[in-house]
Amino acid sequence: MPAVISRRNIQSQQNIAISALTAVTILLFGLPVLLGLIGIILPAMSYFPALGKTSFSSNAAQQFLATPGLGLASWLSLKTGLLATCVSVCGCFIILAAFSISPQMAKLRRLLGPLIAIPHSTIAIGMVFLLAPSGWLMRLLSPSLTGFEQPPTWGLVPDPYGLALVLGLVAKELPFLLLLSLSASATLPLPRLLAIGSGLGYGRFSTWALIVFPLVYRQIKLPVIAVLVFSLSVVDMALFLAPSLPPPLAVLVLHGFHDTDLGNRLPASFGALWQIGLVLIAIILWRLFEISAYRVIQHYRWLGWRAQSADYLLRFLSVVTIVPVLIGLIGLVAALTWSVARGWFFPAAFPIGISLVHWQDMASYLPLIINSALLAISATFLSVGVVFLWLYHGKNLIRKNYLLQAAIYLPLLVPQISFLFGLQIGLSWLGIDGTWPALIYIHMVFVLPYIWLVLAPAFGEMDLRHDRVASSLGLGPIRRFFRVHLPLLAMPISTALFIGFAVSIALYLPTIFVGGGRISTITVEAVSLAASGSRGPAGVAAILQILVPLICYGVIWLLIKYRFSQFANMQKNSLT
Amino acid sequence: MQNNNLYHTTCRILIGLCLTFTVSSANADDFSAIQKAAKGQTVYFNAWGGDTKINNYINWAKKALLDQHDITLVHVKLTDTASAVSRILAEKSAGRITGGSIDLLWVNGENFSAMKRTGLLQDLPWVTSLPNWQYTDSRTLPGILSDFAEPTNGKESPWGRAQLVFSYDSARLQTPPNSATELADYIAKNPGRFTFPQPPDFIGMSFLKQILIELSGADTALYQPVTETSFAAVTAPLWNWLDTAKPNLWRSGRAYPANYPVLRQLLGDSEIDIAIAFNPADASAAIARGELPSTVRTYIHDGGTLANVHFLAIPFNASAPAAAKLVANFMLSPKAQVRKADPTVWGDPTVLAMQKLSDTQRMTFTKLPRGIATLSDVDLGQTLAEPHPSWVSRLEAAWIKRYASGN
Repeated sequence: MPAVISRRNIQSQQNIAISALTAVTILLFGLPVLLGLIGIILPAMSYFPALGKTSFSSNAAQQFLATPGLGLASWLSLKTGLLATCVSVCGCFIILAAFSISPQMAKLRRLLGPLIAIPHSTIAIGMVFLLAPSGWLMRLLSPSLTGFEQPPTWGLVPDPYGLALVLGLVAKELPFLLLLSLSASATLPLPRLLAIGSGLGYGRFSTWALIVFPLVYRQIKLPVIAVLVFSLSVVDMALFLAPSLPPPLAVLVLHGFHDTDLGNRLPASFGALWQIGLVLIAIILWRLFEISAYRVIQHYRWLGWRAQSADYLLRFLSVVTIVPVLIGLIGLVAALTWSVARGWFFPAAFPIGISLVHWQDMASYLPLIINSALLAISATFLSVGVVFLWLYHGKNLIRKNYLLQAAIYLPLLVPQISFLFGLQIGLSWLGIDGTWPALIYIHMVFVLPYIWLVLAPAFGEMDLRHDRVASSLGLGPIRRFFRVHLPLLAMPISTALFIGFAVSIALYLPTIFVGGGRISTITVEAVSLAASGSRGPAGVAAILQILVPLICYGVIWLLIKYRFSQFANMQKNSLT
Repeated sequence: MQNNNLYHTTCRILIGLCLTFTVSSANADDFSAIQKAAKGQTVYFNAWGGDTKINNYINWAKKALLDQHDITLVHVKLTDTASAVSRILAEKSAGRITGGSIDLLWVNGENFSAMKRTGLLQDLPWVTSLPNWQYTDSRTLPGILSDFAEPTNGKESPWGRAQLVFSYDSARLQTPPNSATELADYIAKNPGRFTFPQPPDFIGMSFLKQILIELSGADTALYQPVTETSFAAVTAPLWNWLDTAKPNLWRSGRAYPANYPVLRQLLGDSEIDIAIAFNPADASAAIARGELPSTVRTYIHDGGTLANVHFLAIPFNASAPAAAKLVANFMLSPKAQVRKADPTVWGDPTVLAMQKLSDTQRMTFTKLPRGIATLSDVDLGQTLAEPHPSWVSRLEAAWIKRYASGN
């Protein structure tokens, strides 16, 4: 008997140790944000010893609040962020309702991976090139149809209302939310729900609106908020598509941090806090929107709203939602065309000549591509490892503890611009900024929440009976992971890996703040080239930028097809 | 105006002479020690990376430095030089006084003056001890000792020269406007066909300064630290000019291009008639790359245009200061300078004094091709000095308040 007790003791001690380890790793991923916030709050209160400011005051706040155009800039951010999120969610609903469990959906789904891989800046550049007064559209029509020998003096992009920015954001966020929704809807008995709906005389539209989509939405709530926060504080896309007089708030704040007058870091820090306030307001407004939408749905449920005629509308709407997706693709075509164009002046519809001169610089981009790939692969695989540690040992811990949950998602819920400057000071103080471990760590901080988001529900849905059978056959935990869990979870793991790669490759601000210029990536190069207006090299960089995630995507796809396809019926969550 | 220029030139020469006497104690022996220390070091060179031809030139320097001095040059491509200054500041506030992430920085004007004020530069002057300093002459080019009227105190090494030039497509425009007032007329008659990069962009600010100097007749107040009263009085004509022009600017002044390469692209796209660059050879190089039609030509205003010198500076906490000095010296060598001046490479005018070079060295400069759209040295002769840097932030804030707040 004593032997048994002591074994139990050891076991419980081990459990405590593992739980503590889990808690520490979770906090480790919330920490950078907290560190960064401290580094912002102090200068926001006018405390910044390096500039000789060693006392607290409200000067920084007053100075920031006196920024000309602050109100309009904040309103622009709030408006575009909410609108982009709303359109993305609605588009997601329409596509799901119109195409779910149909052959088109399988085709669409195959498109999603490459679409998610298209970087923000490429979409933005493509849109400008397509819709500018001297853009491709106008070149194709001029002078034969429009009579314009010179481009017209009015322009569609960027428009004063920020609609171009909304469109660009939707082109990027819609595929992302759709992929997550598909993962979420895989956990639902979809064919049965739809059959019951149509059996009771409900149209496709009303079945989805009243029953299925609320169930899907419940699972993607957090990514939607993440999309909202990102849209509200986006910088790289706003540089091309948003109005600049005044620009959206995040751009205004970034200008402050990059101002030649170093004293402007203090008001900019207060601006970073202001950005957090704006995000909070947006989240509250979004929450109100959610509640009222739920009320409306509830009302129509009571009415037993069949709305079969709405299905015709659905057909039409589903075509419209393809537009932002098309824009993403055309952006890519535009990047490719410019990368080989030589001498292309208005109103010529196509370049005078083809030249590979910009592609000759490719060799100089190679180290950047390798950096991007190394960062993405190490950050993603490490994150998957950490998430599995949590799933095996900390699942209950996390479920019960809201603080830990918040710690995981914090990096997605706090605008990047609001903590990166502070984080830069913090890492510099530790002496690890611009090092590989620091950069991989920061990339993990942004990648990990998404991987948790995809893997945690799939892990919960896993049929544990297979695990028990394996266990009773005497397989240890490590062999069970490789022989049972990995094949069962192959699809969600591949989705998680792919999203991880795509997120890591696209990280712009965190890479420049933490990489310190010592480690650069192809994305930083692409934005820098595009911002400087050199379309040829920017085209090359944009194409190279999607290459890395596309190759990763291809490898995963092949692996699934040839290694794990026999388990397809046992899995619910797939990428391809 | 003539008197003013004379006065400032004299001032600069005096400052220059003082500097030469104070820092000439540094000698060649010191430099060979530096050379020894620099071997095998890596220099993180933070420089604006928005122009492919500049990046290619730095890439060439990288190879030469590795071959000749065993120094690894890493070009950290910035979208905005101020972001590098921001990083050095972050390091200073974190108490990192050695091992900083930036070894060498391409800088001038307000960024330099901000770094100098905040103590972000090397403590001791180092520039005049560079062996290649002998090829420069502060009498013919006083700008190498004073950056936007701010004495460099030997803390930044001259790298190249710049002058504001306008470019236009001769196929569409016969006689371009050649003064601020004529430009105003042109804008009024051709709505939507002119714009400038949005301040605080460097070229956008330079354009404002150009117009300000022309309209105020190069008021002496511009060359002293700005005051409340001088600012209001001197800038009044500028605001008047801009207010009149605004409704007839590109997109009715409701949007501005982000920087000069974008502006150049607009000229290539025929969206505007006149573009601005801070490099006389920029248009020629763009024609060679197929980014501008071959009919594009350049011109300057009758009273001259803004000219300045750009520099290389070493931050106070650089990890490899010795190697950074060696790189600065290399960049100042006749060989590196002539390659930089070649319009097919970069086309950035040299800071070296021709009379200090040997005959063969001088030949390499005179033999350089001149580029189809580049003005001759005689045509570029008229230059205007940069106002005191304190004017820049005031101008910037005032412009943003008037035109960028959406009212």
